[in-house]
Amino acid sequence: MTSRVLLIAFLLLLPFGVIAQDCSLTFSGTVTDEKGQPLVGAYVIMSPGGGQVTDVEGRFLFANLCSRKYHIEIRFLGYAEQQIDKVLTQSEELSIKLVPEALQLQEIVVQEELAHTEHAVNYSRLNQQILEELAGKSLGETLKEVPGVSSIQAGPGIFKPVIHGVHSQRVLILNHGIRQEGQQWGAEHAPEIDPFMASNITVIKDAAAIKYGGDALGGVIVVNPPQLPTSSGVGGYLNAVGTSNGRSGTLSGMLEGGLDGFTGWGWRAQGTVKRAGDFFTPDYQLTNTGFREVDYSASVGFHDDSKGFEVFFSHFETDLGILRGTAVSSIEDLRAAMDRDTPQGTQPFSYDISEPRQEVSHNLLKLNAHYQGEEGEWRLQYGFQENKRKEFDIRRGSLENTPSINLSLNTHTFELEWEKIELTHKHLCFGMSAMYQSNQNIFGTQRIPFIPNYSSLSSGLFAVADWELGKWLLDAGVRYDYRAYQVKGFDFKNTFYTGAFQFNNFSATMGVSRQWNGSKRFSSSVSTAWRPPHVAELYSVGTHQSAAAIEYGLLLNDSTNEVMDIDAVNFQAEKAVKWVSSYSRKFGHVSMEAAAYANYIFNYIYLRAQGVTETLRGVYPYFKYSQTDALFVGADWEWEWEVTPHWTADAKASLLRVSDVTNNDYLISIPSNQYQVGIRWEGHDQLGLDGLYASARLRYVDQQRRAPRVIAVDRFIQSGTDGSDPLDGSSANFDFMAAPGAYFLLNASAGFRTGKKVKYDLRVSVDNALNNPYREYTNRFRYYADEIGRNFIISFKCTF
Amino acid sequence: MNHKSVRVLFLVFVFGLVISFTSCNEEDPQKEDVPELITQAKLTFTPSGGGVPVEVTATDPDGEGVQDIEVDGAINLAAGVTYTLTIGLINGLADPGSEGYDIGKEVEEEGDEHMFFFAWTGNVFADPAGNGNIDNRGDAVNYADEDESGFPIGLMTTWTAGPSSSGTFRVVLKHQPDLKTSTSSVDVGETDLDITFEVSVN
Repeated sequence: MTSRVLLIAFLLLLPFGVIAQDCSLTFSGTVTDEKGQPLVGAYVIMSPGGGQVTDVEGRFLFANLCSRKYHIEIRFLGYAEQQIDKVLTQSEELSIKLVPEALQLQEIVVQEELAHTEHAVNYSRLNQQILEELAGKSLGETLKEVPGVSSIQAGPGIFKPVIHGVHSQRVLILNHGIRQEGQQWGAEHAPEIDPFMASNITVIKDAAAIKYGGDALGGVIVVNPPQLPTSSGVGGYLNAVGTSNGRSGTLSGMLEGGLDGFTGWGWRAQGTVKRAGDFFTPDYQLTNTGFREVDYSASVGFHDDSKGFEVFFSHFETDLGILRGTAVSSIEDLRAAMDRDTPQGTQPFSYDISEPRQEVSHNLLKLNAHYQGEEGEWRLQYGFQENKRKEFDIRRGSLENTPSINLSLNTHTFELEWEKIELTHKHLCFGMSAMYQSNQNIFGTQRIPFIPNYSSLSSGLFAVADWELGKWLLDAGVRYDYRAYQVKGFDFKNTFYTGAFQFNNFSATMGVSRQWNGSKRFSSSVSTAWRPPHVAELYSVGTHQSAAAIEYGLLLNDSTNEVMDIDAVNFQAEKAVKWVSSYSRKFGHVSMEAAAYANYIFNYIYLRAQGVTETLRGVYPYFKYSQTDALFVGADWEWEWEVTPHWTADAKASLLRVSDVTNNDYLISIPSNQYQVGIRWEGHDQLGLDGLYASARLRYVDQQRRAPRVIAVDRFIQSGTDGSDPLDGSSANFDFMAAPGAYFLLNASAGFRTGKKVKYDLRVSVDNALNNPYREYTNRFRYYADEIGRNFIISFKCTF
Repeated sequence: MNHKSVRVLFLVFVFGLVISFTSCNEEDPQKEDVPELITQAKLTFTPSGGGVPVEVTATDPDGEGVQDIEVDGAINLAAGVTYTLTIGLINGLADPGSEGYDIGKEVEEEGDEHMFFFAWTGNVFADPAGNGNIDNRGDAVNYADEDESGFPIGLMTTWTAGPSSSGTFRVVLKHQPDLKTSTSSVDVGETDLDITFEVSVN
């Protein structure tokens, strides 16, 4: 109730700051190549304001602009990006000439990615400015700023991105153009990427980026690095971030430059160190939630008119604690943990990390080259990823320092593509990809491995095209993928088994978009995708960190628990059909964008409650990977109002409704509906400070009202004594605890920039300013503890 | 795209497929011994005046598998007799005699992190009286062993059967690293064992 009053009060306060002003200016122009020929389909982004594609004569027009400062970016495939900062006081027309990128020193793959994300019909981008304001947060937490993106969380440090309600294997992350391959099967396994490496992060929500894989049922997250420098001389930055909650410190630095006397060569080195101690809720410490992280990367490349190559290496390494109070090893432990006001083992603040904890490292080596021939451009890319994951549980003394999970995953990816651009009307790209992956359990855990060893080989062939048809822009793509697995593991009796199987299928995408005079844009797409199962979904056996439940893979026999052949079960690969439509419009100084989507996933794989089993540690509920048909329907809505040249107000909503169609049931851990309103004041060079701003944002996260039934832990304990069936003979999904209630969060931030040659940025912000205690439904630790309380963040950046 | 390019792409694709069938020759994984799993718990009640000990065994044939545990009958005690109860814990997946086989020994070595708790119904015991220390840590249980801090462990306990009666007997083993104190209850720490037996006194 109080939260609703707050929301209304906030909305009522919004109009104060309104001053009558002229918002009828236009900004228009033409984009041409270096010879003055118009470039059709060039992308012009005006912020604030939105993006447009130039028409057949290379023109663009932004109307209803206010008198203020704008940032304009112009991009076109094969040409160097241009950025313009402009203070608009009257309507202006501009002629913009783009220079072919081959004449510039640039990272070709990045350009390529940008080009393709633009072809995606529905995408959102976190630009450099937003990333700077979020500096210090993990990738998953950063991505929560994107409409339609949420996260599955495991405590304060582990965020796993969720796009339109789906996650893990269904979300593809491209890091520097390479598919990120880690142990993504676990809900408490976050992506191993340092967001400081990125200059922008793009989220494609419609599987249109078919060239990266047909298995992105939910979408693709593209982490784009900055382009290599174009001239000799050294530049870089140093960024320091400190937070009050967790008393964390982050230091990130980057150096880049060209090479004197070696035109075409460029290099960059970057590194980040982070350290955090125990976080705290408004009422207590979250003992053992600290982490340490060390990341670094380096790249060097050469490009000239027609060819180029680059070598990139990055290392990511983290050691992170799992909340001590989540260590449970029986259903009675779980009941005790849920009943406690303060989690078990809570101690005063410390930077120490002890069991349960995770040690994760990820290395990426990338080599890529391109060659511009007569017929088109050839691109070749090879990536090697080495992912290591160790999970340490609380174990009996002699095994204290022995990991219970110790996995090494090596992935080789190889891609070759050929692209032809006919500047006026169409664009064509063909390619193939191959991936070889090998997962090994490192001997010595003294546990039956949770997932088996496996190797897999995947190959794919794709073709994508887009062309203009009158005022409409059409795009279409088709892809064929094949994947073979070889599996070797040990079952619950520690008996050796093997398995081998293959999958192959087609996926396709088709979309249309249209632009009207810069004030309206409509797009719609339909795509299909399919996904071979992950080995974890087929063979998992045992209990998991902090889960207090036993998990079995799809191939385990219901009554004997023995591993079966895949042909003996009615297994079907997951397939999806997703439709996304978006419409954006600008009326006067108000702009809005609405997107609606429906994603029907056939044979959706999820952990389904199966029953209870008696062990020497008491009764346990057990879950089995099962398949059902699921429907994800939702809408994202954004609205922005330029109240005055200094003030802007915005509102956003993300709605999602998920159904288990086959069983007429709800699925667990689905993000609930979210609404937010924000105000922002920008100084525009006031007080001699560039980029002076202050902003506040109120976020309302609703309770998940479409959550599965609740079966209290007591009911399971009772079944151990009286032999009754706690599931009441039904295999409907259940949860041990009801979904937590709705909550409000107030965040505020302010900052400025100063300096000419060397720039200094200072930002101060506060998250959860009201220090509200709350629990988030998609946090796996919601059984055990509240979310973190008020957090002051100070960030200082020096760019030179 | 001309025919030449298509051919090149196709050849590379086929090449990829060929690799798939030749490169998957990996070594078999090495089998883990799994010492921390408890697959069997054996309760031995030895009469203080000598005689045949009473033994009951709970076995989990499949660990975390779907099958329920098997208990080989009730604990049959003689009225008025005092017994020493010793608890043996075994990991049946390890080789007998190997380091990880006798879990009871590990619990003893790490007595400062472990404690057994007991609960019973039907007033089956004359001493200790009551219903055990699971509902209330302070309630009486006659521990006959202790850790280095002087706190009970419970691998060895003494019991005097009451008059003819029957009920249940529950044994819980808790792992309480850095948490075990003179008052730490059954709610503290992680559960290593939680079994309930039938008991009858004649």
